[in-house]
Amino acid sequence: MRFLKYAGRRLLFLIPQLFAVSIIVFFLVRLLPGDPAFLMAGQFATKERIEEVRSDLGLDRPLHEQYVIYVGNVLQGDFGRSWRTSQSVLQDVKQRLPATLELVLSAGLLAVALGIPIGVYTAVKRRGVADKLLFGYGMLAGSIPDFWLGLILIFVFFSKLGIVPGPIGQLDPIVSTPPTVTGMIVVDALIAGEWEAFRSALQHLILPVATLTLVYMTLIIKNTRSAVEEMMESDFVEHGRALGLPRRTLLRYALRNAMPPVITVVGIVFWFLLGGAVLVETVFAWGGLGQYAVEAVVNSDYAPLQAFVLLAAVFTLLVFLLVDLAYFLIDPRIRA
Amino acid sequence: MSDPALSPTVAALAGPRTPPRALRAFIGFARKRPSFLIGLAIVVITLFLAVFGPVVAPYPPERALPGVGLRPPSIEHWMGTDAAGMDIFSRVIAAPRIDLTIALASSLIAFVLGVVLGVVSGFFAGAPGLGRFLSEGIMRSADILQAFPIFIFALALVGFRGPGVENVIAALAFLNIPYFLRVTRGSVLQVRERPFVEAARCAGNSELRVAFVHVMPNALTPALANISPGIGFAILLTAALSFVGAGVPKPTPEWGSMISIGAPNMMTGQWWTAFFPGVALGITVLGYALVGDGLRDYLDPVKRS
Repeated sequence: MRFLKYAGRRLLFLIPQLFAVSIIVFFLVRLLPGDPAFLMAGQFATKERIEEVRSDLGLDRPLHEQYVIYVGNVLQGDFGRSWRTSQSVLQDVKQRLPATLELVLSAGLLAVALGIPIGVYTAVKRRGVADKLLFGYGMLAGSIPDFWLGLILIFVFFSKLGIVPGPIGQLDPIVSTPPTVTGMIVVDALIAGEWEAFRSALQHLILPVATLTLVYMTLIIKNTRSAVEEMMESDFVEHGRALGLPRRTLLRYALRNAMPPVITVVGIVFWFLLGGAVLVETVFAWGGLGQYAVEAVVNSDYAPLQAFVLLAAVFTLLVFLLVDLAYFLIDPRIRA
Repeated sequence: MSDPALSPTVAALAGPRTPPRALRAFIGFARKRPSFLIGLAIVVITLFLAVFGPVVAPYPPERALPGVGLRPPSIEHWMGTDAAGMDIFSRVIAAPRIDLTIALASSLIAFVLGVVLGVVSGFFAGAPGLGRFLSEGIMRSADILQAFPIFIFALALVGFRGPGVENVIAALAFLNIPYFLRVTRGSVLQVRERPFVEAARCAGNSELRVAFVHVMPNALTPALANISPGIGFAILLTAALSFVGAGVPKPTPEWGSMISIGAPNMMTGQWWTAFFPGVALGITVLGYALVGDGLRDYLDPVKRS
């Protein structure tokens, strides 16, 4: 009950945030040098199309009216039209969003599944070989560009060893795409029971997911480790130790109390992953939203770019909303 | 006013001896931190290459040499050549010029604006009237800016302004302001409680003068320590933007754009095309991060000893 109340309050808070974000995205188009209607409509637009865009954006009206028009359009799902794909941006986004989510979720979940145990392990067993390795890995992962790591993995595992498929899309071209349910090919193949498509999709996921996980997992390891270390040295664990409680019990207490900072960093990792996905999708020709955004930038296709920035900000706000809610469930101190 | 009547103790306290002592302390600190020295060496080398790189390069970094496309590393071409026949070693050591120009310029702009905004927002936090309004406004704007994933926002800013060096500098400067702002604000909040601030007020200084002449110089340390890793991060972002074609235009030697030129060759096995520029990029970013870590510890009196 209290949780619902908190969640409601937190959701209400989302409204001013979305409002502020929409203002920034609205002004992005006004950054365009020259006539935005002409540029938004694209290189090969007819006169009529330019006029249509002008009235869509209300460019002949005062700024505050233009903003109202913009918000009205977005609320109706009208993000304009991409001149390059000649589809509405909403349609394009619907087609590509699942691929990006599949990538970001797989990499994020894998980073959590590996990073937290490694972090806990190194917090408990300090000063070993693992410790030194981890330090080196942390330094490297912080300075290696993710797109470069992706290319190196392609060279080693595709070009040299030949054990993974080439970096082109999410599925072998000869394998038929399973019927769309979620749009995430791995999940759809599983639902349809098409094992060949499932295997091919999984194989295509290996390198991009490995790239993102290797680069961003280090944040989770580092923060889990320091949170658990801090808890193991805290007064209540010390007290438990004095009472002679078994080590396992002490660790369980420490872990539970180390969760809040770990949850925050997991949120931050998902936030980073979206940016990383843009680059990694480009390397692997993944065909998701990230690649769509890059193509939009390179081709001066402004409507999709504007929509993508808005979506990225909404994604961020939702991630941190989930973090706050998880915090509330885990940490009784906030509930007071 | 030189005063020969000052007693030796006062003269010693007064200061002219402090620079060498500070220098000695710094050297002593650096000796105990090999990682800091390594970082420092990397920074010095990249700065040297930024000035002299294109001059000392064995081949013209932007010219395709006829008939030597995609040669593996050899005596003539230490890092091989790319598909167009450009010498990769020459390009790798010529690249710091553009990468560091962008990174240094954007970090300095972000530093200056971030510190000024940080002082205003920290000094006037909770003050009555306009000051508080300003302070809150600055912080909420920073919150909103940071709601956008940083690379995506950089991509959008450059995308809407068009590729080009000035636009990359402007975008990175803009995006890095909040980091300098936050650390400066935090330190101003502490400094403004110190007694000398009250004394400065009593001496009749205006609020703005107290903020910028008395508080700011004492609150700069965290922002200064942030410059070095900020430069590393800016280099990484510049390379990423150039990699996707939204940064430095080809064929200007730039690490990210070189990686993008070499990307198709990685699938067919010519690893040297993208490998070397990436290594140079990684080492450089690491170097600036190490220097940043070292400076932070050095400026923190508890960790220094």
